[in-house]
Amino acid sequence: MQDWQLRPARDLGLPPTERLASLRRENGLVSTALHLAWWTAVRGYLTAWHGLTIHGREHLPVGAPFLLVANHTSHLDVLALATLLPWRERDRTFPIAAGDVFFKTPLASAFAAGLLNALPMWRKKCGSHALHDLRQRLLEEPCGYILFPEGTRSRDGHMAAFKPGVGMLVAGTSVPVFPCRLDGCHRALPPEARWPRPTRIHLRIGPPLAFATIPDDRAGWAHVAATLEARVRSLDPDAGGGPA
Amino acid sequence: MNPATWPRLFDTGPIFANPVTAVVTATVAALLLLTIPVIHLLARRGMIDGQLRDELLLRGRSWMVLAPLILGPILLGTAWTIVAIGLLGLLCYREYAQATGLFREKEVSLVVVLGILAVTFAALDHWYRLFVAVTPLTVGSIAIVAILRDQPRGYVQRVALGVLGFVLFGSCLGHLGYLANDPGYRPWMILTFLAVELNDIFAFVVGKTLGRRQLAPNTSPKKTVAGALGAVVLTTLLVVAVGGAAFRGTVLASPAHLVALGLLVAVLGQFGDLMLSSIKRDVGIKDMAATIPGHGGLLDRFDSLILVAPVVFHYINYFVGVATSRPPHPLTGG
Repeated sequence: MQDWQLRPARDLGLPPTERLASLRRENGLVSTALHLAWWTAVRGYLTAWHGLTIHGREHLPVGAPFLLVANHTSHLDVLALATLLPWRERDRTFPIAAGDVFFKTPLASAFAAGLLNALPMWRKKCGSHALHDLRQRLLEEPCGYILFPEGTRSRDGHMAAFKPGVGMLVAGTSVPVFPCRLDGCHRALPPEARWPRPTRIHLRIGPPLAFATIPDDRAGWAHVAATLEARVRSLDPDAGGGPA
Repeated sequence: MNPATWPRLFDTGPIFANPVTAVVTATVAALLLLTIPVIHLLARRGMIDGQLRDELLLRGRSWMVLAPLILGPILLGTAWTIVAIGLLGLLCYREYAQATGLFREKEVSLVVVLGILAVTFAALDHWYRLFVAVTPLTVGSIAIVAILRDQPRGYVQRVALGVLGFVLFGSCLGHLGYLANDPGYRPWMILTFLAVELNDIFAFVVGKTLGRRQLAPNTSPKKTVAGALGAVVLTTLLVVAVGGAAFRGTVLASPAHLVALGLLVAVLGQFGDLMLSSIKRDVGIKDMAATIPGHGGLLDRFDSLILVAPVVFHYINYFVGVATSRPPHPLTGG
């Protein structure tokens, strides 16, 4: 028999509002039930309203840890990415969301944490310790993250350069990173729009990459970001490289 | 549901029929009104320093919320009491699951929660056979769902943690709720709460003033032998003094029964306290949660009640019989 491992919740003893915006937050039965209801509804909406089509489903992660990275043009992106995961993975997959938008008020935090299962990334004061905490959790727990390495939504629909932060999460580890390409989200719900239009969304998933041999330093992080950026760009059906 | 359901669940005769109910309610209300002003007065007179004042205020304010939440449902009626105890069980289980890490086992946790709900339903429906059946059935269900993921690693741990959680917060605590089916439950339950809470305070105060030898230094270094013995004596005296009125008209009103009941409450209350200390030491945490300011988690406050509840229930049920005069099944009928 193995030794017992009594590991208290990472967020034990945190006051409720602080807990929602904490990188240590863990899901109990109630949050899991809320997420289940929310993602089931979102899945139905995306299929019915946007006819979400997924290409490359065979590449989907089979177990944590993993990282999904994608281009970012719309709030719909994270919905499309999270719903494609199998249920068991979805409950331990955390979209990394902008703290200054999604965790600005307690109400926003309740939505981001209670329904989206998001963890905050504070863009202005994003210290390396926050990324360090995220990296540690990814490996220890293990869990999955959904990340948009551009750092913000593209205003014109064109992909911007990937920031090196993504490298800080996975350089030197064998965590598989799944490059994903979303098309149609910008047309359906661009940043300036209020309500989504019923246009089609395509999601393309590429084979995973791992960066075990890449050094965990500045040059390594830039290399990871550049590699992933190129891979996501290559999934663009117009570029001719992706599995259409 | 039949027409008798509503009054049966929500109206159990005159609330203050027993003097214990009236006196304790009045005393608690007076204490709650006076506590905060008295603390301020003592501080202004310079009899306590600022730090102690703030600590006392924090605890006092917590009691202002806690005491009505305990006493309110008992005064309101049977259904309120049973639902409140069920809710308490769920919240205590939540703290326990977070502290031990059991909350990560979603299937096991779900079965424990369903088990606590089933116990609460059986108590609400005054359905003793179901109440008895729920415990082995839930234990069996926990052992089964823990297999389903086909991961034998950690099987014993997740089943054992689940079973302990259900038995403590569903089954043990649920007995207190079931007691509320008896028309005379109010003074019994108020005496139980009063004795258990004062038992904690007696142990603390006697230990502070007379205590020298530690009771269980590895488990809970602050508890002393003198505190434990002092609490046993004082709590037994309290139960003997108040119990005559609380149990009037039953065989339990005799001094011999009241001494036995007092000893049981005092000893089991302290073992409940030590049980939670053991869990916390084993896990390596100080407080179960930060639910009640100044107290820690709900479990830190209600730990002493858990082992007392089934013993008080079965003691009364054996010698008097709980709710034997009433027809069962107000909800399901038949």
